[in-house]
Amino acid sequence: MPSLAHGLNRIRYELHGPKEGPAYILINGLTQYVEIWHPYRDALVARGFRVAIFDLLGQGVSEKPTLFINQDDQVAVVHDLVVELGGGPVFLAGISFGGVIALRYAIAHGDTIAGLVPISAFAEVSPQLFLLGKAMMTGLVLGGTSYLMDLLFPMNLSNAWIGPHIHALETAKRRGWLLNDVFALQNLMESFLDFEPLTPQLPSIRVPTMILNGEFDFLTPRPLQETMRAHIPDSALVIVPHAYHAFTLEKPALTADLLARFADDVVAGRWQGKGSVWIGPEKAGGEFTPFPAGYDHLRALPVRLEEREEAKVP
Amino acid sequence: MKSFLGPLDQDGRIPPHQQTRVAAFLMSAHGAQARHLAASLPGNLRDSWEVELHIQYCREMEILSLLARATSWVPDPMLAFLIWQWESAWWPQPAEGVADRHQGLLIDMAAFGHAVHAVTRPAALLPEHVSTADPFAMALRRIELESGRLMQAQTLFLKGQQFLPVRDAVAAAVERRHAQVREHLNSTLHGIEIETSGRHLMETTFQVALRSDAAYQASLQGGQAKIAHNDKAAS
Repeated sequence: MPSLAHGLNRIRYELHGPKEGPAYILINGLTQYVEIWHPYRDALVARGFRVAIFDLLGQGVSEKPTLFINQDDQVAVVHDLVVELGGGPVFLAGISFGGVIALRYAIAHGDTIAGLVPISAFAEVSPQLFLLGKAMMTGLVLGGTSYLMDLLFPMNLSNAWIGPHIHALETAKRRGWLLNDVFALQNLMESFLDFEPLTPQLPSIRVPTMILNGEFDFLTPRPLQETMRAHIPDSALVIVPHAYHAFTLEKPALTADLLARFADDVVAGRWQGKGSVWIGPEKAGGEFTPFPAGYDHLRALPVRLEEREEAKVP
Repeated sequence: MKSFLGPLDQDGRIPPHQQTRVAAFLMSAHGAQARHLAASLPGNLRDSWEVELHIQYCREMEILSLLARATSWVPDPMLAFLIWQWESAWWPQPAEGVADRHQGLLIDMAAFGHAVHAVTRPAALLPEHVSTADPFAMALRRIELESGRLMQAQTLFLKGQQFLPVRDAVAAAVERRHAQVREHLNSTLHGIEIETSGRHLMETTFQVALRSDAAYQASLQGGQAKIAHNDKAAS
């Protein structure tokens, strides 16, 4: 099992694909682990990418610091991986907690990556997210990792996925439960207690950025994605249809395709973010649709922008 | 070496010699924690944190009682030596780098409790298809769940503001106790042919089912085929 030494900590990682290809580093969300990215590894390597996947500090088989985990240490681990990958173009994608680490990395070391994909991420902790996080931590403490995952499944996955698997959820949780420890997950969650909004630093991210947001993301809804779209200069927001927070688990073929197309566009010089808003394809290889002009992409109803502006007038 | 306890007997239960070794280890570790707590517990509770101490003591006694009654004990000639080894390791040792010896002992006690509750994870030793009627398996699940809750007292204490000036010493004491408990646990498990380090590579029933799920595989392959088609069209 390859491992990366970060200080006294050992980080489990895997590298796949051709050495000369553009590279993707994929960063896990909470309770996730390397194997979750294997469908991405297969899809991206087949398209000529090199893929680096790893267990975050405190998760999976990587070292689990006993009392404190600093998000800066996670950023430093990503930096070690970027160095390990060599000099070719490196793209960074992260989901949820991993998306925050990806944002932090792009702020600190933006010159070392070619592109950024925050997936279901956030640059600020809204009051709703704060309370949800607090409730999840209480769930973790009182009911263990298994109960935390019981909460995450219905919040983060669609009925279309849960329905056929509902009688197998206990076994679906098993690997995540085995690999993750309460104390380490708690340390990861507590690393948000002193979280300062990243928004003021977002304009310093100069690399092309594709923000991926599930249409029905309940945990990190569109206003949280909007913060990134509005402040990262070369960004575009892509709304993934019928998707919830953890759509990377549910739609690996589609998401891997989006990642590959984004990187291909950036490498070929075709990417134009311009703060645009898109509706992503339903299936891998499908077309992107511009969000209808004049409509408010932050609403669940088709509200025209003018009406919203008018409504503000007393 | 196997990744989990077993093989299960015909009733789906853990073999008694494994139950005996695992229960003896857990009773030694939780017993030591119960003794530390008993020694610090005043006759009359005068402060709110002493209430938590009392709760911890009672839960540890519950764990000991549960293990004593739920385990199918069999004679194990190695236990005399192992128990001596474990008990020597659990002996209080003031945290290094803390000038106040009493404070150093308190930190060590909390660090040991944190390690026992965080590292042992007895339910994670159970194979996927263990019988729900097995009291030993039920006891291990209960201990693991309770450990997550009990650990909160030690976590709060060890992360408290009062230890800010000696935070590195506290962290080192916790790391030391974690490493120590892990080393003895792993050695105990090796003694019954269990090695847990590779269990992340083992597929669960769910993953096996997913691999043979035609619809899921078709969705992955369909995606690949469509991508290949688009790539070809683009070129």
